[in-house]
Amino acid sequence: MTASPVIRVIRPGDTSKLNPYTVAIVANPALEVPWQSGAFSPDPIMLDHLAFEESVNYIEQALFGSLPGQREQFINDPTIGPHIRVVSVFDVGLTATYQNSLVAQDGASNQLIARRSVFVPFLSTYNLDADVIYAVSKSATHTRATSWFTSDDDARPGIPFAMDGRPLVHRFYNLIPGTVAIHTTNRSLIALHEFGHAASSYTNGAVFDLYIDLGPSINKKLNRPIPVVYGNYNSAVMSSDRTRGGIGYPPTWMTYHCELLDAAFPGVMDDYLRAASHVPEDCQHDRITRQFLIDRLRAKISRP
Amino acid sequence: MEPIKPEVKERVLREQPQATPEEIEEYEKLLAQRFTSDPDFQPTPAPIPSALLAPDQQGEQRLLELQRKLFPETIQ
Repeated sequence: MTASPVIRVIRPGDTSKLNPYTVAIVANPALEVPWQSGAFSPDPIMLDHLAFEESVNYIEQALFGSLPGQREQFINDPTIGPHIRVVSVFDVGLTATYQNSLVAQDGASNQLIARRSVFVPFLSTYNLDADVIYAVSKSATHTRATSWFTSDDDARPGIPFAMDGRPLVHRFYNLIPGTVAIHTTNRSLIALHEFGHAASSYTNGAVFDLYIDLGPSINKKLNRPIPVVYGNYNSAVMSSDRTRGGIGYPPTWMTYHCELLDAAFPGVMDDYLRAASHVPEDCQHDRITRQFLIDRLRAKISRP
Repeated sequence: MEPIKPEVKERVLREQPQATPEEIEEYEKLLAQRFTSDPDFQPTPAPIPSALLAPDQQGEQRLLELQRKLFPETIQ
């Protein structure tokens, strides 16, 4: 059995800072079954360190643009990527209790759900802070990844921006980090897609799924007919996406998206499995999502 | 949340003859809605009137109904 805990620094990030932007990847010690039941059982991931390390490698590759053929490279930018710390935690010495359960199995679906309020106290036992946390599960029945947006600390500073004239702030710090529940079998764009959600904010711009008619949000608007202009982000006028990369909008939908960087493929937050090429890695973020995430990461990277 | 695989949708429609694409879309929308509000830091500190809670509770009930119809194999 592996000695516990195993904490690995996958990428050091900005070592000149006490609190560099950090992505933590944690093996989930215990599952809550079902979600909100208060019943806990050991997660099978704790018996499979190799599967966890393979997930760590996969998540790091997806974030930093090194999946085979991956076109979305926004984190792999010299002004962003080298500043991001990536840390993994695998600790077999924990019991199946409330405070050690980071992931729940949903009772109404096959979704894994992050138990977000537990993450900060859990990581603090390892003296770790993070901006986005992936909890990796090897549930026998539930494999579908989900995320919660970040709860920003709106009492602390950040970098102001405006969306359609509405003042918002890319906050430096969070109250609860963005949290992702992910399965050992998840591959392709799943980790990057979930990062898009988790890195965004409940109060300063949430990045929604584009494949569901739900909105508005920073990357979703409501109107028919679809207007030519999507919106004005920090004085940049952005157009609307009229085709969804070839998928098209169902006739009953009221939501629409921002322009794509390559109109031949749907966005990363859309149903990338329906890309005409059948290669999800061909997909990139739409214009507002990419710029919003870049600016949010740069703001956090710049925090004092 | 991770997009549902096209083959899963096809399988549901094939194996559950009463299921419709609209019901799959409704199910997905209800799942997604759970994540759109902050469960730990509500914008209004005042108690939420029960009338405003009702739609969420109705949504969870509807989710379970749709799960039984579309994805019975996922019932725990």
